[in-house]
Amino acid sequence: GACRVSMSMTEIRAGFTAIKANIQSRDPIRTLSILSHPQSLHKVKSSDRCCITHHLFTFYVDKVFKHCRTEDSFVNRKISSIANSFLSARRKLGQCREQNNCVCGEESTEKFKQILANYEGLNVTSAAMKSLGELDILLDWMEKSR
Amino acid sequence: SGELYCSLPNPRNVHFESINMKNVLHWSAPEGTGDGVLYKVKYAVYGVGKWIRKPECRNINRTWCDLSSETSDYEEQYYASVKAFLNGTCSVWMETTRFNPLTDTKIDPPMISVSSTDKSISIILTAPEKWKRSPEEESISLLQVYPGLQYNVSVLNKKTKKRWFFSINNNTLVVPWLEPGTVYCVSAQIHVTTPVLDSSFSKEHCIATLKDK
Amino acid sequence: DALLPAPQSISILSTNMKHFLTWSPVIVQGATVRYSVEFQGEYEREYANGSWIPISECSLTTATVCNVTEDISATVAYRLRVRAELGATRSPWGTMKGFFNRVTTSLTPPLLRVLADGYHLLVELADMGPAFQFRVLYWKKGHESRVQQKVMKEVSSMVHLDTMEAGAEYCVKAQTHVEAINRSSSFSPTQCVRAQRDTSGWWL
Repeated sequence: GACRVSMSMTEIRAGFTAIKANIQSRDPIRTLSILSHPQSLHKVKSSDRCCITHHLFTFYVDKVFKHCRTEDSFVNRKISSIANSFLSARRKLGQCREQNNCVCGEESTEKFKQILANYEGLNVTSAAMKSLGELDILLDWMEKSR
Repeated sequence: SGELYCSLPNPRNVHFESINMKNVLHWSAPEGTGDGVLYKVKYAVYGVGKWIRKPECRNINRTWCDLSSETSDYEEQYYASVKAFLNGTCSVWMETTRFNPLTDTKIDPPMISVSSTDKSISIILTAPEKWKRSPEEESISLLQVYPGLQYNVSVLNKKTKKRWFFSINNNTLVVPWLEPGTVYCVSAQIHVTTPVLDSSFSKEHCIATLKDK
Repeated sequence: DALLPAPQSISILSTNMKHFLTWSPVIVQGATVRYSVEFQGEYEREYANGSWIPISECSLTTATVCNVTEDISATVAYRLRVRAELGATRSPWGTMKGFFNRVTTSLTPPLLRVLADGYHLLVELADMGPAFQFRVLYWKKGHESRVQQKVMKEVSSMVHLDTMEAGAEYCVKAQTHVEAINRSSSFSPTQCVRAQRDTSGWWL
């Protein structure tokens, strides 16, 4: 069944928009992406969406946010807001997964492995900052596939 | 040939201006340079390993370059960059911030057509189309790009000066039980919930209900 | 530092998704005591070594209240703390007892104004911020079984609900809904208005 999590995308989107220019300016690497190349989220099959979404929430909570502390108090507060919203959403998605058998197909597992490989290919701070700067790629994909 | 030593001041404020995903790169001339400055433009798909030159914007003296065709896939994000040349010297490449066509475009108001009977007005709204390369190319309505697209419609009774608002998802609205022989002015706005994108309100379309038979 | 006691009676007042931290003043005769506030979300406790984040708008403030709405922006358990500062002297942190989760905010019914303009039923709702939707119920008096509903997000001003039958009375009530915490307020008092009577000449 579908894992439809009512998640306040608007709040996360607003939080990200407030710091997008700041965060993306800290990522000088134009030619690499964590989420969008070589594989694209937009090619994920609908049956795999629940699994990929849960994987990505876990990826951001476990790996990304903690390495994004900056010298800017406003940016840190917005990152905290986004991180806590992800935590809340992941919990709901987790509950949903147990009830709804959120299947992880081979293709989505491969895609997520590629995302991790992209991440591991950079030093941790650059990888984390790049991943945070790509949050709109994740949000655009989630909103399009709602 | 090796790059010239670049001592020319840089182009300034290099940025995309986008309306209905017609994405045009704009910049200001380097400070203190008069006429005669020429420019080159290149762009990159974010995450893909190469910059691509834009031949139609090579050695141009204007300060804009239409990159709509190169940035038409709104599932991608982009960078663009400009370099200035004058009297044998040049500036460094100056880049935009990361451009996301889906969230960074502006949307035009909807087109409105209004008809009336003696007691009602009927309003048909049409969302603008996404930019396309040529008239022959298939049209894509912004409705398809933004599934959460809604319309806010304002109806003003010119006699009583009272204004009503309607928020609708589909593109037609009939307002019945109006006063005959009265002018009503209609204007509408597009509202996308996520990402948050609002057009301005359209120009008012005024129409009179027919006089009583 | 022990000379300056930690602020006491630290608590949160939260209404309609606006959250204010308050505390009792630390009194030092003839001196102006200032305060600084920090918060910690569930993420900071579980993934960021229990780190605390300062709220710059409430750093070195003389007020004994701090608007923490912008920072309590996820539906998780937060902790908040305050300390007093006098020159270089700082008090220990005073930490609010327990946690605060915005799901416990108190939601009040919306302010509603209902109008009839000819045969048209209109409603005006006071804006309550981006987190709020409004669920408006309306029915023809005497037909309580046939209630209709409209859910509205942005409520700029006079919103059109429906057209009414000539001379009939219609009643309206509304409640707020906050998707982020999946809760609704109680309903506003019901308001009823009457549509314009059938005036000859209009409908011949």
